[in-house]
Amino acid sequence: MSAGSIAADIRAGRTTARAVTEAALARIEAANGAVNAFTDIVADRALRTAGAVDAGERQGPLAGVPFAVKNLFDIAGLPTRAGSRINRERPPAARDAFLIRRLEAAGAILVGGLNMGEYAYDFTGENCHDGASRNPHDLARMAGGSSGGSGAAVAAGLVPIALGSDTNGSIRVPASFCGLFGLKPTYGRLSRAGTFPFVSSFDHLGPLARSSVDDVALAYDAMQGSDEDDPMQVARPIEPVGPKLATGIEGLRIGIEGGHFARGGVPAAHEAVARIAEALGARQTVEFPEAARARAAAFVITAAEGAALHADRLRTRPQDFDPAVRDRLIAGLAIPAAWVARAQRFRRWYRDRVAELFEGVDVVLAPATPVSAPLLGQTTLDLDGVSVPLRPNLGLYTQPLSFIGLPVLTVPVWPGGTLPIGVQLIAAPWQEELLFRVAFDLELRDSGR
Amino acid sequence: MSAEAEREAGAVDAACALFDIPMRPEWRDAAIANLKTVATAARFVAAFPLDDEAEYAPTFRP
Repeated sequence: MSAGSIAADIRAGRTTARAVTEAALARIEAANGAVNAFTDIVADRALRTAGAVDAGERQGPLAGVPFAVKNLFDIAGLPTRAGSRINRERPPAARDAFLIRRLEAAGAILVGGLNMGEYAYDFTGENCHDGASRNPHDLARMAGGSSGGSGAAVAAGLVPIALGSDTNGSIRVPASFCGLFGLKPTYGRLSRAGTFPFVSSFDHLGPLARSSVDDVALAYDAMQGSDEDDPMQVARPIEPVGPKLATGIEGLRIGIEGGHFARGGVPAAHEAVARIAEALGARQTVEFPEAARARAAAFVITAAEGAALHADRLRTRPQDFDPAVRDRLIAGLAIPAAWVARAQRFRRWYRDRVAELFEGVDVVLAPATPVSAPLLGQTTLDLDGVSVPLRPNLGLYTQPLSFIGLPVLTVPVWPGGTLPIGVQLIAAPWQEELLFRVAFDLELRDSGR
Repeated sequence: MSAEAEREAGAVDAACALFDIPMRPEWRDAAIANLKTVATAARFVAAFPLDDEAEYAPTFRP
């Protein structure tokens, strides 16, 4: 059931927030053992909030809608574990993250924290401390990461909306593997205050939803707003997309990514883009220049900034890291500053060239992942006949976009068989509205299935 | 070990010394392999010509 439908039923008196919350908690109790999405369940808090909604003390467009958050979001009273063993020993958070407060101000009901790859340095959803998030469409497969619990919880129908973070693709990869809508807004749009960071240069937060792009819009609109606690948030007015959803796409120039984005994926990844392009009547090919180099630059900056963030923990407790994360972070400490400075200079060049391209196109389509969900434990991918390491290459198509903070909305496509794969809708900075209009149009046409 | 691998092994060892990381022998090869991957990416980026005046954006605004 969609978030919008739940809120409408509660408003109309057909059900209560308490009944909806109890049902969500029962689903979590029944299914979490299989999908391993939740690491923390805040049942008492959720029922108290539901009571406030039913008493009319909390109202808003999401009144009575359950949601959950990746466990790098501060939840008052819980340690913010960020997928790690080390951080769960921290004192409980004193207050909720900004975006949790915004959603609850709109009437939504937090039910828990969600599994994730350690410290968000992950595309798989695997975690050596808490176990892997499992893909509800095939429990032997990855949910994707690092927001793996967010993808698994929403795809399993445990909650209609979850929040994740996306540094190099960590919302878009799980959205692709789990058949969900996933929004990575423009860098600086939504406050990150009250979340555990990874790479400040690229960290974004955003929602995932299953039933409808309207649910993504409801969450996104509720979460906009200025917050002085995030130093990287850009001062912008709130620009709601909900009222614009049904505006249509007439006159929009929609292109298809070529070059880097047309290479390397399995046929299903490119067939999914072709299907969406056909539904939209998109013919124009657009090529972001040097996208492969952009991905390389993002890789360097990520390794260096991530290592710098964790240097003290690497010194004092290296044995308590997930080995797959620790080994990359130690390598990151050895990166010369000159490599990082060069990558940052390239980043500005790339941003300017992509901005020029967006003078001739409004929305661009690209695959979200090169493959559909791999098997848990898989370590290599076969791309264009070459065996490559799985972990870094799941971000093949997401990394060059978050690198320059572009807004991206991933939409689900089911190219046949049982596994979905995502398509990225990409726009110029601050043009989220265009993405929502296109996604809504696709939903009306039922183009994904 | 090749000269290139020795260079990266030396960098990892130096970083562990600088940051006082208690590296265990069983972690070292993986860290070196990861630095090699980063080095490949960094050289790819560095091969792209940029003017000296091409500064980066200290406060990044997309």
